[in-house]
Amino acid sequence: MTSRERVKTALNHQSPDRIPIDFGSTSVTGIHCKVVESLRDYYGLEKHPVRIIEPFQMLGEVEADLQEALGIDCVSVFGPRNMFDIDESQLHQQRTPWGQEVMIASGIDLTPDKEGDVYIYAKGDRTFPPSAVMPSNCYFIDAVERQHFVDDDQLKAEDNLEEYGSLSDEDLQHFVQASQKAAGTGKAVIASFGGTALGDVAFIPGMGLKDPKGVRNVSEWYMSTVMRKEFVHELFDKQTEIAIQNYSRLWQAIGNNVDVVFTCGTDFGTQNSQFCSLDTYRELWLPYHKRLNDWIHQHTTWKVFKHTCGAVVPIIPGLIEAGFDILNPVQINAKDMDSTFLKKEFGKDLTFWGGGIDTQRILPDGTPEEIRSHVLKQCEILGRDGGFIFNAVHNIQANVPIENVVALMNTLNELKTL
Amino acid sequence: MADLQELYKAIVEGNLNVAKSITQEAMEEQIEPQVIINEHMSKAMQEIGKRFEEGKAFVPELLMSARAMKGALDIVKPHMAQSGTTSLGTVVIGTVKGDLHDIGKNLVASMLEGCGFKVVNLGSDISSDKFVAAVKEHHAQIVCLSALLTTTMHYMQKVIQALEEEGIRQQVKVMIGGAPVSEAFAHQIGADGYSENANAAVTLARTLVSA
Ligand code: B12
Repeated sequence: MTSRERVKTALNHQSPDRIPIDFGSTSVTGIHCKVVESLRDYYGLEKHPVRIIEPFQMLGEVEADLQEALGIDCVSVFGPRNMFDIDESQLHQQRTPWGQEVMIASGIDLTPDKEGDVYIYAKGDRTFPPSAVMPSNCYFIDAVERQHFVDDDQLKAEDNLEEYGSLSDEDLQHFVQASQKAAGTGKAVIASFGGTALGDVAFIPGMGLKDPKGVRNVSEWYMSTVMRKEFVHELFDKQTEIAIQNYSRLWQAIGNNVDVVFTCGTDFGTQNSQFCSLDTYRELWLPYHKRLNDWIHQHTTWKVFKHTCGAVVPIIPGLIEAGFDILNPVQINAKDMDSTFLKKEFGKDLTFWGGGIDTQRILPDGTPEEIRSHVLKQCEILGRDGGFIFNAVHNIQANVPIENVVALMNTLNELKTL
Repeated sequence: MADLQELYKAIVEGNLNVAKSITQEAMEEQIEPQVIINEHMSKAMQEIGKRFEEGKAFVPELLMSARAMKGALDIVKPHMAQSGTTSLGTVVIGTVKGDLHDIGKNLVASMLEGCGFKVVNLGSDISSDKFVAAVKEHHAQIVCLSALLTTTMHYMQKVIQALEEEGIRQQVKVMIGGAPVSEAFAHQIGADGYSENANAAVTLARTLVSA
């Protein structure tokens, strides 16, 4: 089986020759650049600065040679600009505050100020206040919230739509070329076209906007889902309308060079609970999720990937109703997220993309033997009859001991030979 | 007469304007701040905290209640000193260095404030130096540390060490919380208490200051 066939078989809920593996195909299934460097060293791969593919979380590129070493089956298609709306085609070499040489978008300068903080500017424009910061001793970036007073009489859905618009011809061309190249690898192609996440608090602060209008503070946003429902409906409605127009052009230009689309990363779960009830999900999100998912299923061959952290058992029936095909990261360490239960209850409707290894205890603190038996067990439970793509619960974080990551990768290698 | 039952309702329902206007009225009628806080505000916050704990209310609802409570508290505050109202104690709270998650920490801060503690919220990504300085400056009885990442939770131990080195560990109780944190971890690093949610945090804080 080729990698692509393997992933497609699993997505069709049939048993592939082995469990397909993803590390690096999206911004939620990746590896921190520090760990990428250690892995490259461990496998004796060429030494060169790791490329940052997603600066917000400082994820490193899993290049073809490392993919080979890890037996990865998925490749990414990312947009032409990052979360700060900075061009990703122009790179320069920079040293991170923790002393690692990386290749990062030229619009990002990693030189710390006197306090040791690194500031990032929307579109790289330093004439406006910074939109994000990597505080000293942090391994990733955080939004700087720039919330103007919200005047409810003046507030318009358009204020929160500034970053969502029609794809330019240039951007479309970027996606066409990137998808073609990705498809040429023979691996499954996971595309993040952007613009489709509804109310994701990672995007609400508008880190790509110089002076964002509307609701841009995370708490203000959460409260808006209760006190400004009309506004939220209108915003989601218009955003979805734009998304469908863009998707229609993307499908025509790209077709089945892409296998999976990552559309929405809005988190509905916390460690022990949810950010809203199933009723609220059905009222506020479901109509729009369903509209886009139905369009995708009616017009394309793409499968739809939904990311939500946390204890989401009560919300999952809604996600299935909305037509999502894939759930990630399957946070098995959150309340009631028992793998056996999830597989039995929802395994026919959803492919689990993640949940392969707990990242709150086992990966950072477990022994190699613990890691091995845990991974084998997860694969046995979640991998039965397909419907499972191996990935950790969310990105592998900086400072996870390399021995543990290697123990994980060795177990995956062992599984391949079974 | 200001209908303080309505204040309770306004806070539980997260109605800022109503909460403010009733409190304003109550102040004009010279109702004791202590009465407003203990009998109404704190009960309302506990009620919404309980619903949150039971999974009947969620982050947005709790944020709305906290906002209404703060609106009311801002009106009461100027009257507190003159009426000799004392707080249950001073709490310094923050998310530890390297961690930027602040939603849960802010909810804990609001619950404590709404239930009668004086709260100094330092924000997120807070170094041990800053915790130490704030404890000294505000003569805090409690330090609350929040961490949502397995890679940052160990920093809590550094904060405790710093408090020891400064010779002020005995003066303050250390409470910890956040998704990956547990009772066992609290023991391991020598914290005085852990709680799983914002409501339980208030109960714990009360016990710790009266101990
Ligand atoms: C919302 C969220 C975010 C938001 C944060 C927004 C913000 N301003 O805080 C965003 C999207 C920005 C984010 C980013 C990241 N996140 Co995050 N995030 C979450 C999520 C989904 C929910 C956290 C939350 O707000 N819960 C709601 C509140 C109410 O709950 P709480 O925080 O647990 O607090 C309650 C209790 O714990 C307690 N409590 C909390 N603090 C304290 C303190 C004291 C003293 C006491 C007594 C009690 C107490 O009371 C609170 C109220 O009841 C969790 C999932 C999870 N399982 O928790 C992941 C999670 C914490 N994130 C995670 C990660 C890895 C990240 C990232 C580092 C990067 C990445 N993805 O690679 C980035 C960091 C980038 C950045 N810039 O910050 C991981 C951590 C894994 C690990 N190894 O530890 C989690 C667990 C997700 C996962 N699937 O694994 N995240």
